[in-house]
Amino acid sequence: MARMRKSRGESLLLRYLVLGSWALVCLLPILWFGTIALRPRTEIVTPQPIYWPTWSLDAWHLLMSDWPIALYLRNSVLAVGGSVIIDLILAIPAAYALARYDFKGREDIGFYILSTRMMAPAIVAVPIFFLFKSVGLLDSIWALMLIYAAINLSLVTWIIRSYMLDIPKELEDAARTDGAGDLRILWEIIIPACLPGIITAAVIAAIFAINEFLFTLLIASTSGAYTMSVALANFTGGSDGVIYNAIALVSFIAFVPVLILVILIQKHLSRGLTMGAVKG
Amino acid sequence: MASIRLENIVKRYGAFTGVQNMSLDIADEEFLVLLGPSGCGKTTTMRMIAGLEMPTEGNIIIGGEVVNDIDARDRDVAMVFQGYALYPNMTVYENIRFPLRMRRVPASDQDRMVRTAADMVELGAFLDRKPGALSGGQRQRAALARAVVRQPQVFLMDEPLSNLDAKLRQSMRVQIKHMQRQLRITTVYVTHDQIEAMTLADRIVIMNKGAIQQVGTPDQIYTDPANTFVAGFIGGPPMNLIEGTATGGRFTAPGVNAPCPANLSGRITLGIRPEDCTVGGGQVQGLVYGVEPTGDVTYLSVLAGTKQVEVKAARDFRSDIDVPITIGFDPARLYFFGADGQRIRGGA
Repeated sequence: MARMRKSRGESLLLRYLVLGSWALVCLLPILWFGTIALRPRTEIVTPQPIYWPTWSLDAWHLLMSDWPIALYLRNSVLAVGGSVIIDLILAIPAAYALARYDFKGREDIGFYILSTRMMAPAIVAVPIFFLFKSVGLLDSIWALMLIYAAINLSLVTWIIRSYMLDIPKELEDAARTDGAGDLRILWEIIIPACLPGIITAAVIAAIFAINEFLFTLLIASTSGAYTMSVALANFTGGSDGVIYNAIALVSFIAFVPVLILVILIQKHLSRGLTMGAVKG
Repeated sequence: MASIRLENIVKRYGAFTGVQNMSLDIADEEFLVLLGPSGCGKTTTMRMIAGLEMPTEGNIIIGGEVVNDIDARDRDVAMVFQGYALYPNMTVYENIRFPLRMRRVPASDQDRMVRTAADMVELGAFLDRKPGALSGGQRQRAALARAVVRQPQVFLMDEPLSNLDAKLRQSMRVQIKHMQRQLRITTVYVTHDQIEAMTLADRIVIMNKGAIQQVGTPDQIYTDPANTFVAGFIGGPPMNLIEGTATGGRFTAPGVNAPCPANLSGRITLGIRPEDCTVGGGQVQGLVYGVEPTGDVTYLSVLAGTKQVEVKAARDFRSDIDVPITIGFDPARLYFFGADGQRIRGGA
């Protein structure tokens, strides 16, 4: 026979091979970071590739002895977590109103909210600095919370709004005839029904916030408000030169909480992202 | 328990009139069906009774009280929706309990009431499931249980069976009717399916283009249609409506020649139900267009001129197509409609 059907085992092997290679490509940067973090400084900057590196915990010891990395991590988590909570508290009712209530200028208000995202952050950097200075919020994680929340609010509102538009109006009609008021409907029907969307929006906001650099640099001047993203920058200057292995390790430390978060909510997130994608 | 009265209800959306000047009395404990094609205003009418839409003009009176300004949540009305509208995040039990919680029914009574309602629709074994894990019929029964659980004054059902397959629809129909008789709750039921309307209703309201065409019992609607719209909407297959000319006591159209009252003249429409036609006889001369055996009866289509005439023939009737055939009309069962579509009373 000229054509033989591939056995089931073979096709499965091929599939794993393709998927495995693709996974490797995707994971390569992370693995690379991992190896840099675990190698001595001298070995990282050699021009020749080193296939069998010497492992060392130099970077770890440096971080632990010279840098309050736990504090930075705490600052990041608090500022990001707080900002996401603020975003959700403000965005959910706003999204509901934009999705459901019929009022004059609804489209304009929706577009205005989105347009705040279109502005280049550098334009407002200086005014924001003076604004926070005048209210005495410089170098405070409260300020970071507010700024992160402000940056992401429009995005969070729009993502959640698009989910709410997908919820059948019948559900609300049913709840209303069952005797529920507006707040009750929002709380008991709408929010649970668009939970995947809310989680998606929260994760995206958290990722943007944890990577925020410009405003954090502006507001934070001491380790009291330094976050991981700004701490990273501190390894690149000064008399010690660029400390690559420490940078890699800090990046790793910043990356792990997000990774854990994403794994925990993976089910909702993939549903959320595809739903949004189909809807456009 | 309550009667419902609609007084000169008008509903406009901008320039479009959804419901025009509708007045209707629905008796206590009555099962009333609003029947009509999609877009005829029947669902809008129901939503106004529920309080989900406000009438532009007119009054809605439930149990003697004008409820125009009363919010849906405070009208004691329960509604079953076409898409079931079960809360996806709650179990069947929580779904059924929801209206009780909202109306602050004492917690001690809630469990008993939920179980009674669930048993009534035979869902007792599925209380822990989420709606996503139920079949279409089970979802619809859960929606019914949620509506009956608090014993509302009025039941509203918006095409509750249209998402079910034909077999399930038949058994749910019987269940709904049984439940309504058992609970004796005034019910308004919206459908575009004339079989549902005929089988369920105490009275049928036929609507078209936002206006009532006829109100009556299923028998009245069937045997005494007020106009061509009603005649053509009810019955399966519906009444044959043949446009032609009346002169000197004869009605003529291409291929058709039938008796008519001598006082009729000019352009009129003759109506005859398929079961009042017989194979053989002299009123129609045409060609067999198609034969559809269904088991207990055979439907025959005859092409007379350019018009197809439907005939309910004997169950064993068979024929090839394009064979010449004659059809007779039962002269006592002829209906005549004027050029405006309204029935001309007086009979043949």
